[in-house]
Amino acid sequence: MSDATRTRIGPLDVVAAVSVLFALGFALASPRIESQGEAARMLFVHVPTIWLAYLAFAVTFVASISYLVTRKLRWDHVAGASAEIGVVFTTAAIIGGMIWGKATWNVYWTWDARLTLTAIMLFVYIGYLALRRVIVDPEARARRSAILGIVGLVQLIPVHFSVTWWRTLHQTNTFRPRDIQMDGPILAALLVSVAAFTIVYAAMMRHRVRLEELELLAHTAAIAPAGPVAGDAVSAPNVGNSGTQP
Amino acid sequence: MIRRYWKFFVPAVLVLGVLIVLLINLSANLVYFRTPTELLTEIEPSAERLRLGGQVVEGTVSTQGETLLLIVTDGRESMTVSHDGVVPQLFAEGQGVIVEGTWDGAMFHSDTMLIRHDEQYRTEDNVIYDSIEHELEDT
Repeated sequence: MSDATRTRIGPLDVVAAVSVLFALGFALASPRIESQGEAARMLFVHVPTIWLAYLAFAVTFVASISYLVTRKLRWDHVAGASAEIGVVFTTAAIIGGMIWGKATWNVYWTWDARLTLTAIMLFVYIGYLALRRVIVDPEARARRSAILGIVGLVQLIPVHFSVTWWRTLHQTNTFRPRDIQMDGPILAALLVSVAAFTIVYAAMMRHRVRLEELELLAHTAAIAPAGPVAGDAVSAPNVGNSGTQP
Repeated sequence: MIRRYWKFFVPAVLVLGVLIVLLINLSANLVYFRTPTELLTEIEPSAERLRLGGQVVEGTVSTQGETLLLIVTDGRESMTVSHDGVVPQLFAEGQGVIVEGTWDGAMFHSDTMLIRHDEQYRTEDNVIYDSIEHELEDT
């Protein structure tokens, strides 16, 4: 592995790690949530993880449109990297939600509208990642996955409003316009956690986009037309003039 | 641009169309639980399993051997529930619950109980923050 391809821990990674620790402190120091027990502290992980999933898929959407408009592969790298992080955090939100659900609802999983639609969203984006792996040509891959990246975002609307549109086990949205159903100290800790997770997203994106660029370089090198192994810089080994001696 | 993408747009539109039709048709099934009012006015008593949701009425919880008796309400109608099964930790009077079982016309017989908490995240000493809010409103 050459020096240029090695992953380095940057200042952003350090800031991300420190802010997560900071957020964890806030979550533990937050006042107890009335009538929900200590398990309700899952709030400070569950909400930021699903927020990141929404954010990541929204970034994929914007980057996909930008790719189709500009045809710059850079945008495809952003779209692919973001979708992958979105899948990771959707999974985290579901697993965290299951743990919280068992403690509060008394069930890990049930087929209510919110849970079911979130699971469908996860599988659609896993499909998006699979699509990115079956197309070899970078341009074709970018074009086709951009379309799924754009169409896929539509799901966010039923996922988010499922709790209002249908009667669900999952509680309805706490954040309503101009009417937040949450007390100040809990809200403050939650906002710190959301900010910390957002920094984690930025740090992960930096590494993941770079990886996409390296993959493109590797791909370009692999399909380069056959020629001298190391180009013209190297000539055939000189074994002396033994062969030309009379 | 459309000509180049039609082979992607057509399936995308088809898939979206199927999803929308599915969502509209499934809307009835997407309702996770029924309310006491719906049970009393729309649903015939039968052996079919369904879910009933509502708030536990204060002062109506009692035990009869292994059975838990309670009344749940949706604010308009209420219904007596006889529950044989695990009682969740957060079960309390005034709490939202969803019970699963059958309705015989007089009583709901359940064997599974879930807690449905609301979207409110309040501190236990919410008085303090209420007063801060009022002070902010006054200024």
